[in-house]
Amino acid sequence: MDKRILIITADNLGLSKEQIDYQDIEILKFPIIVDGKEYRQSEEYNAAWLIEKYVKDGVIAQTSSIVKGELVEIIEANKNKYDLIIHVVMSSILSAATFAVAENVRKMYEKTIPIINIDSRQLATGVGNVLMGVIDIIREHENESDIIRLSQEMVKNTFTYMVVSDLNYFARGGRIGKAKALMGSVLRIIPILGLMGDDEDGLVVPLDKGRTYKQVNDKIIDLMEAKMAEKSVTNIKRLIMNEFGDNQDAVLDLKEKIKSLPCNDMMNGKPDLTAAVHGGPKAYFLAITV
Amino acid sequence: MTHTDNQMLVIKGIIENVYKYLHRRKEYINGLNVFPVPDGDTGLNMTLTIQGALANMPDYNGKAISNGEYLKDFAGQMLMNSRGCSGVILALYCQGLSEVIVNGDLSPANVHKALENGYKKAYEGIDNPREGTILTLMYEFKEKFGELMTEEDTAVIIKRCIPHLKSVLDKTPDMLPVLKQAGVVDSGGAGFLIILEGFKREINFKQSASGEVAASTLLHAIKNIRKLIQSSSSNIKNNHLGSLHLNGGIEKINNIRLRNIISDFQHHSGNILNKRKNKLLKDLKEMESSWNPHIQYRYCTEFVVKSDKISSQDQIKQLISGYGDSMIVLHSSDTYKVHIHTNKPDAVLTDVSKFGELVFTKVDDMKKQHRNFISHDTIAYERERSIFCIVSGLGFKKILEELGAEDVFCYGKKKPSVEQLVKAINQLKTKNIIAAPDDQDILMSLKYAASLCKSNVHIVESKSVISLISMLMAVSNDTNINSMSFIHQLNDIRYCGISRAIRETRAEDGTVVKQGDFFTMYDHKIICSGKNIKEVVVQSIEKLAQKENLVTLYKGIPAKRDNNLLPELRRVFQEKEFEEYYGGQYQYYYYITFE
Repeated sequence: MDKRILIITADNLGLSKEQIDYQDIEILKFPIIVDGKEYRQSEEYNAAWLIEKYVKDGVIAQTSSIVKGELVEIIEANKNKYDLIIHVVMSSILSAATFAVAENVRKMYEKTIPIINIDSRQLATGVGNVLMGVIDIIREHENESDIIRLSQEMVKNTFTYMVVSDLNYFARGGRIGKAKALMGSVLRIIPILGLMGDDEDGLVVPLDKGRTYKQVNDKIIDLMEAKMAEKSVTNIKRLIMNEFGDNQDAVLDLKEKIKSLPCNDMMNGKPDLTAAVHGGPKAYFLAITV
Repeated sequence: MTHTDNQMLVIKGIIENVYKYLHRRKEYINGLNVFPVPDGDTGLNMTLTIQGALANMPDYNGKAISNGEYLKDFAGQMLMNSRGCSGVILALYCQGLSEVIVNGDLSPANVHKALENGYKKAYEGIDNPREGTILTLMYEFKEKFGELMTEEDTAVIIKRCIPHLKSVLDKTPDMLPVLKQAGVVDSGGAGFLIILEGFKREINFKQSASGEVAASTLLHAIKNIRKLIQSSSSNIKNNHLGSLHLNGGIEKINNIRLRNIISDFQHHSGNILNKRKNKLLKDLKEMESSWNPHIQYRYCTEFVVKSDKISSQDQIKQLISGYGDSMIVLHSSDTYKVHIHTNKPDAVLTDVSKFGELVFTKVDDMKKQHRNFISHDTIAYERERSIFCIVSGLGFKKILEELGAEDVFCYGKKKPSVEQLVKAINQLKTKNIIAAPDDQDILMSLKYAASLCKSNVHIVESKSVISLISMLMAVSNDTNINSMSFIHQLNDIRYCGISRAIRETRAEDGTVVKQGDFFTMYDHKIICSGKNIKEVVVQSIEKLAQKENLVTLYKGIPAKRDNNLLPELRRVFQEKEFEEYYGGQYQYYYYITFE
């Protein structure tokens, strides 16, 4: 790779920096508001910390968009060191503000350095999949239009499956989309929510539901197999799974079931604070790129 | 917001208003529907096609979309949401228009090109195109538009085309004999004209559709006029014509043929010759048979199949053409939308399912629709489809509603009569109903009720309320409903019921269950019994909860005040998870499920 390319993304990846096999990367931190006070992800303030605060203190948490000044700071520090900057951004539909900041900064620097904003159309673990996919692409391609085209194709082939025990956490963040229909049921149901890269609306959708985690795990496997059949692929290129450590039986059951799927690269991600904000206790996320 | 966003909002607003205009006139269009089958749903199908397309349009979320691009997306959605012959033809026409207008050019020359392409698409998409239908109106529209192209304003040209199209619509009975026999103009053509009128209205010209006479009223009037002619009396008074009121004179009757017959009869008042009498009687007979014909193919069947094994529309046509007529096949990449009138809808769907996944199916019983159409208490359908559950307990009613049942009829203690079921189904005002009872004893009366009511009723042979929960757990999205796949999941949840013996009985293993004892029914067998309900429940769970971890108790009315069982079960079975809900069933103290 001759071209010097910097990748910028944010810490809602579901991956730690160490898990990303690419040197030139900068990770922005999303501001998290817990009971009115702002936090950033750190050793102390992590997903497990927030889940505990949800359970013990019943706190209310929300995410905010990335801070423009922080993005500008990164670009200022790097604009002369690189030929191209690629910014992998969370779904522009779920956070129009974050994408608007990215676009605004791109325009600010259009005469200085080319910046490509990749709309991942994902949140949480799915952004990690898109980031890893972009890295695969730039290892093979340097031409900007090729990078954009191939990234867009890869985004369309990335799918996130989210199991949440309480939809209210998603609802508070305003990201519940069509899954709102599953809220408020007398009968306890465990919904499987999806962010489907090939869905033009790009909203969180209810994919299925079950009464037990074993049932929903079986359904997730069925959904992934159906998606592979729909896309006429026999292998999953990459699978990333995230959980908060508070629903071990369900997660172990799913991990066992996943073994039946042909997958080139299976990763246990690192849960991030933003995923905890939206998922709440006992949630777990799984994202695939086919 | 960009300039193009505004354009998109304008075109979206126009389409929504035209849809509302059409929707208000759908019963008028339904009332004209005699071709190809008098099932009285042309207006509904055209309305549902546009409604479905609007409902499924992408959000765009501030993305700049030109009106041409919006129309293209809209036409695509119309194709996928099209209903019935008229809906499909309208969708094809819009697809043709949008293919040209996608460039955003609304100049007369480009719109004329679009109208030509729309007509071509609609004409070529149909196996047996006929004159005197919506196609004729589409043809005349592009011809007249071409003639008037000296005007510079597209909207003005469209406005000027409308009087001509009205005269063409009035001539459709001369082109299609069945219309003449029935004394109506073509319903699809009338719908097309209403859409154009709605569009004209949107560009500030007022227009309204004429009144209507229901098919039942017409048939009743035909019968009465025939009696009058046979008795050679010319004393045509309002009461003799049933509900066909003539207070404003016969010119108020919008059925051309009936108006002519009455006029002719009045003209020869009191002195009618046998030859003329026979001619009038022949006319009336023809008219009656066109409104009440023999329906050769009973089921209007539509489906969408996704397949990589089907290479062309012709392949599908070859596969199923032997099953019926009125076939229309549309396709977009690997997805095919098919419409056919047939007597063997199941065979059609089975044959096609061998080639791919059926993502949507719809079977309308046109004989039933026709019966509704010509009845005095015609139901104006307001919805296309509903999942209708019939349950005993109020608690279950709430649970099922929240799981996705659109309509739940709660019958309480006494099982519902056929009459109650017919009334409940008719009240839904829904064309296709998936009906599922919570007790197999209701199936017989439900089947009889389904044969009497006016909607298409698909009966799910569910045996308990737990089957209904199981079925609805499989409904997650429209695809599940459209493919009806959820009805195969009726028995996914294992359960038992705890009740009390009203007389002495004997279990399968010979154990005597005394009057007043509690007993557990599992898979139609008594598996345990005893004097103490807690002991019976504990024994049942020990026997039945195998790998399942979640045990759910649905409490019935006899156990409404029992709050001691759940804590006791949690103490005994510490490794299991328990949940309790109020079901409100009358017979069983508890239903217990194992998941």
